[in-house]
Amino acid sequence: MSIPTLAVADPPHTAAPPTAPARTPRRRRLPNLLRWISPVGLLLLWQLASSSGVLTEDKLASPTKVLSAAVDLAATGELGDAFAVSLRRVLLGVALGAVIALVLGITAGLSRWGAVLVDPPVQMLRTLPFLGLVPLFIIWFGIGEEPKVALVALGFSFPLYLNVYAGIRDTDPQLLEAAGVLGYTRWERLVHVVLPAALPQTLVGLRQGLGVAWLSLIVGEQVNAQAGLGYLINNARDFLRTDQVVVGLVVYAALGLATDAVVRAVERRALRWRNTL
Amino acid sequence: MAQHVVRVRELVRQFGTRKVLDNLDLDVRRGEFVALLGRSGSGKSTLLRVLAGLDREVSGDVRVDGTVSVAFQQPRLLPWRRVWRNVSLGLHGVDGRAVADRALAEVRLSEHAEAWPITLSGGEAQRVSLARALVREPDLLLLDEPFGALDALTRLAMHRLVEDLWQAHRPGVLLVTHDIDEALQLADRVLVLDEGRIRAEHLPPPRPRRHADLAELRDRVLADLGVENHEAA
Ligand SMILES: Nc1ncnc2c1ncn2[C@@H]1O[C@H](COP(=O)(O)OP(=O)(O)O)[C@@H](O)[C@H]1O
Ligand SMILES: [Mg+2]
Repeated sequence: MSIPTLAVADPPHTAAPPTAPARTPRRRRLPNLLRWISPVGLLLLWQLASSSGVLTEDKLASPTKVLSAAVDLAATGELGDAFAVSLRRVLLGVALGAVIALVLGITAGLSRWGAVLVDPPVQMLRTLPFLGLVPLFIIWFGIGEEPKVALVALGFSFPLYLNVYAGIRDTDPQLLEAAGVLGYTRWERLVHVVLPAALPQTLVGLRQGLGVAWLSLIVGEQVNAQAGLGYLINNARDFLRTDQVVVGLVVYAALGLATDAVVRAVERRALRWRNTL
Repeated sequence: MAQHVVRVRELVRQFGTRKVLDNLDLDVRRGEFVALLGRSGSGKSTLLRVLAGLDREVSGDVRVDGTVSVAFQQPRLLPWRRVWRNVSLGLHGVDGRAVADRALAEVRLSEHAEAWPITLSGGEAQRVSLARALVREPDLLLLDEPFGALDALTRLAMHRLVEDLWQAHRPGVLLVTHDIDEALQLADRVLVLDEGRIRAEHLPPPRPRRHADLAELRDRVLADLGVENHEAA
């Protein structure tokens, strides 16, 4: 078949690390604690550099300053508002991107004509540096919420599409053949064979896509944002409040980690059929 | 109802210029247990795929009168569906759980109904595959070396199970194998496929069969397969 090969970063089996055997908890806990030594050490070093005056506040505020800035921003409600606005942008963009990616990926994966018509343009668009589309998006959508949501949707949908498509195409033909002999309807074949077969790869795409979605949000919010974490950070920059800038960055990072944890939990539940050995 | 569940005349299947099945004739009566022996690459699976309707690029007359089920050499279970769902999926208009539970009891896997297929041993997975084929109450059951990957002891247990299931349900069976003893033990009729055609037919003695009854027939079948028997010579 002349379908172009896909560049999919992770094979599906790397998506969910095998759960560790339950009988060696003690040996596992110790190294996990040990891993915290150098991060905490660096934090202490940072604090030391700040309080000794080596690191000045207009370059980078100290950890304690950052912490108190976070408390202040939370108390005034600014942080909560910015957080809610940014989260909403990501959720909207991800939802929109998911619909697009799933519809296109399933169409291309299931039908020959779908693959012929859908895949080539998507593969071509994929090579565009999509963050470079920001100026066009501003011309098209103005400077409100739309360009930010659109950028997130676009960034999210490419990895998801590629992995959904690859997952469906990789469905074991022997299982499809068995389904045919066993009298599955088309619908049963889709729901019980093709989509579950594509699920591990789809979840890999979901994770990659969410990473790109956060990045898209950060870039999108740098431009003319009137609210959200990007706005908070830009404002802080104008007043040289490095403590507030760092607060914004930490919240971005925490959000990224939180979504990753959610996907991991979904993975564990959805792929439990292969984690039971 | 026709007397034959399978009636094949002058079946030809070509890959390129090579005729893997070359003017093959084959009949299987209702409820008859037929074993098909042949060397590796002789076209056994090809024939079975034609009968299962998986391969239509053939010429000749192929008639399969009734419903067909297949158990493949690999069990081909859906790893993401529990065992009982694997058995019942594709059945319509019945209580799938009840049907699956009954079939799993027959292959003595009741306690694994809720298990994930990945947790089953090779023999257990193959029994699930058999249960899945049987719940469809086929008129024709096609078995493509279903015990080939199992260890010898499990294989013997599976032979007894298949014979019991066949006695209970009476489908026509076409068992593809390269294990002579399996064929002689289980089948009403043993066919030898060679160079694209059924080259020989043997009728094992009536059941129940003892191993010793089959020794002489075994030598004749081996000769058909081109294997010299040094003890006899
Ligand atoms: N799809 C195919 N394309 C080309 N050759 C094939 C194909 N399927 C089977 N063959 C060839 O047909 C011959 C018979 O194959 P098969 O029926 O699988 O043999 P058996 O099951 O008796 O071991 C083999 O030589 C095999 O290489
Ligand atoms: Mg074969």
